[in-house]
Amino acid sequence: MVGPTASLSNLHRADGSASYKCPATGFAVLGAVNGPVELPARRDALKPEEATVEVFVKPGNAVPGVGEKYVEGILRDVLSTVILRREKGLPRRGVVITLAIVGGEATERGDSYLTLLPALLHAAQLALISAAIPLPMTLATTLLGVTRSGEIIRDPSPAVAKAATSLHAISFSSKGHLLMNESLGRFDFDTWELVRQQAATICRGAATPGSDGDAAMGGTDNAHVDGFVRETVEDHLHRDYNWKLESI
Amino acid sequence: MTSPATAAPSVPPSLSLPPSQFARLQPHAYLLAHLSPPPAMNQPSVRANGRAASQFRVTSANAGSLTHTNGSAVVRIGDTAAVCGVRAELLHTEDIASWSVSQSSSATNQSNEAGGQGTDAENEVDRAQIEDLNLLVPNLSLSTGCAPGFIPSAPPSALAQSLSHQILSLLHSTRLVKADDLRVWYQPPNLEHIENEMDVDGGSENRHPREIKAFWVLYIDIMIISLAGNAFDAAWASVLAALRDTKLPKAWWDVDNETILCSEDINEAHKLSLRGMPIASSFCVFEADAAAGWRAVVIPDAEEQNAEKQKKKGPQSRWILADPDGYEEGLTMEKACVVVDKENGKTVILKMEKLGGWTIDTEDLRQLVDISAQRWDEMKQILG
Repeated sequence: MVGPTASLSNLHRADGSASYKCPATGFAVLGAVNGPVELPARRDALKPEEATVEVFVKPGNAVPGVGEKYVEGILRDVLSTVILRREKGLPRRGVVITLAIVGGEATERGDSYLTLLPALLHAAQLALISAAIPLPMTLATTLLGVTRSGEIIRDPSPAVAKAATSLHAISFSSKGHLLMNESLGRFDFDTWELVRQQAATICRGAATPGSDGDAAMGGTDNAHVDGFVRETVEDHLHRDYNWKLESI
Repeated sequence: MTSPATAAPSVPPSLSLPPSQFARLQPHAYLLAHLSPPPAMNQPSVRANGRAASQFRVTSANAGSLTHTNGSAVVRIGDTAAVCGVRAELLHTEDIASWSVSQSSSATNQSNEAGGQGTDAENEVDRAQIEDLNLLVPNLSLSTGCAPGFIPSAPPSALAQSLSHQILSLLHSTRLVKADDLRVWYQPPNLEHIENEMDVDGGSENRHPREIKAFWVLYIDIMIISLAGNAFDAAWASVLAALRDTKLPKAWWDVDNETILCSEDINEAHKLSLRGMPIASSFCVFEADAAAGWRAVVIPDAEEQNAEKQKKKGPQSRWILADPDGYEEGLTMEKACVVVDKENGKTVILKMEKLGGWTIDTEDLRQLVDISAQRWDEMKQILG
C-alpha cells in the first residue's frame, strides 16, 4: 500500500503551512495557519484566558456550505485539545487554520465527511507545527471501514466507504489517548472495540509499553501514522538545518 | 422615629452570597461543590440542577400539534424545546434533469420491490434516490430568541448550520425513511387485448412496466424555541416524532390531465414506515481540576492515566454528565454523543461520537452505550 505524502511550509505568506496527500482515499489537502493573530471583533464572546481556534474548510470545487460548517466544528474541537491555548502569547489571540481541499472526490450534500477527516486533521496539524504553535502532543488519525462481511478495511476509497456498513474515523494522541472517535453506520460495541484496537495499531504502531515515538524509524513494514508525522517533520528540519550540518 | 428603613443599616452586611450569585461568579466551583460535597456534609453527589450524573431531564413529546403540516411534533427535554414540522411536496420525475438516465439503471429491480427484507441492489436504489434527489431537506433554526446568545432573525449561526447537517447526515446514514414511501407510481393500463385485434404482434412480455411519476420531498423544519443545552437530542427526537406522525396523501397520475392528483380523504393517506427508532443521547465530561488547562504541558500518558483510575486513589476527578443543560455545557470541553436503536432486544449503535478531550475511552464508551440503551427504552415510552 502506498503511504501518504506530506510536505511542510509550502506557502510563503502564511505563518505555517502544509500539504497532505493520501493516495488510498485520493484526498489532498493544503493547510495554512496564521497565529497568534489579533482577532478583530467579538472580544466579549471569547474566553479571555485562552486563544481562540478558528478553522475554515474550503472545498475544491464548490462554495463552502453547511457541511463545511459541521466539519469545521469537529476540527475545532479536536485541534483545541492539542493546542496549548494558554501558553504565553496566546491568550486573547486567535489561531486561524485554513484548509483547502485540493484533490479527491467532491463531497455530496449530507455527506458525513468521515472520509475526509484524516486528511484534514493531518494537514492542519502539520501546518500548526510549521507555524510553531505550541502543542503538548501530536495526533494521528485513521479511517477504518467495516464491510458487510465484517472485514475491517484501512483507508477505504470513497466507493468502498459508501458500501461499508460502518465507518470509523479515530484519532489518537502521541501519548495514547483517544482524542476523537466519529463512527457512523450500523455496528455493535464488540465491532467497535476491534476497530479501536486496529486503529491504535495503525496510529501508534504495535503496542510497546511506554513508547513515545520513533520505534518505527528503521523503515519497518508496520510504519504507523504517528511515525509518519514525526518523519515528515524530521525531514523538514533536516533540510532547514542543512547549512549547519554541512559546517560541522 | 424607628422606621424599618433606619433599622436596616444596623445589620452587618452579610459576607455570604446567595447560591444564584455564587453560581454566576464561580460556575466551576459551584458545580464541583455539588458533585463532590465535603464528606462531613453526608450528602449524595448531585449536579447543580439536582440530577444524578447519568440522569436525563424530564422529557415530553406531543405529536400532531401543527394542523397544516403533514406531520409535526413538539419535544421538550427540560427547558430545551424543539418544534418540528414535516411538509411534503411533489417532485415530478419530468422535472429531474437526469431522471431518464438514472431510471434505466434502476429499472431492473423495480418489479420486485415488495420483497420484505430487500436485496443489496434495492437498498442501493433506495439510498441513491433519497440522497441524490435530495428527498429529505431538514433545516434547523435557532434564530427564534431561544437563548440570549442567539439574536432573533439573524442569519443562521454556525451551530444551527452544523446541527442541520448533522440531522441530514444521520437521516441518510440510518436510512430512516424508506424511498418506497415517497414514490408515486403509475401503472399504464394494459391495452394489449385492443392491440391484438389490430396486429398480431402479441409478445408475452409486459410492455408497460409501472413507472415512477413523482417523488414526495419532505421538508423537515425544526425550530428550537427554547435552548437550555443539548440541542441535538431535542432536535433529533422532534424529527423522529414528526416523521412517525407524518401522513402522505394518496397521490396518483391522472392520464387525462397529465398531472398528479392527491386525495383529500384522510383515510386514504398512508403513514411513513420508518426503519427502526434511533435515539440520540448526549453527554459531557466535567473535570474537577479547573486549572488543568493551565498545566496542559504535563498531560499524563494514557497508560498512567488508566493505572491511576484503577487504583481509585484520591477523590473522583471527573464526571460524565448525561443530557447537559446550558450551564454545564459552558463548563465542559469534552463531549460524546451516542445514537442507538434496538432490534429484537439487541442494541445497535448507529453513531458514536467523542470529541474535545482525552479522558473518555473504551470503558466509558461502553457505559455510555448502556446508558443510551436505557434511554432508548425511556424514549420509546415517551414517543409512544
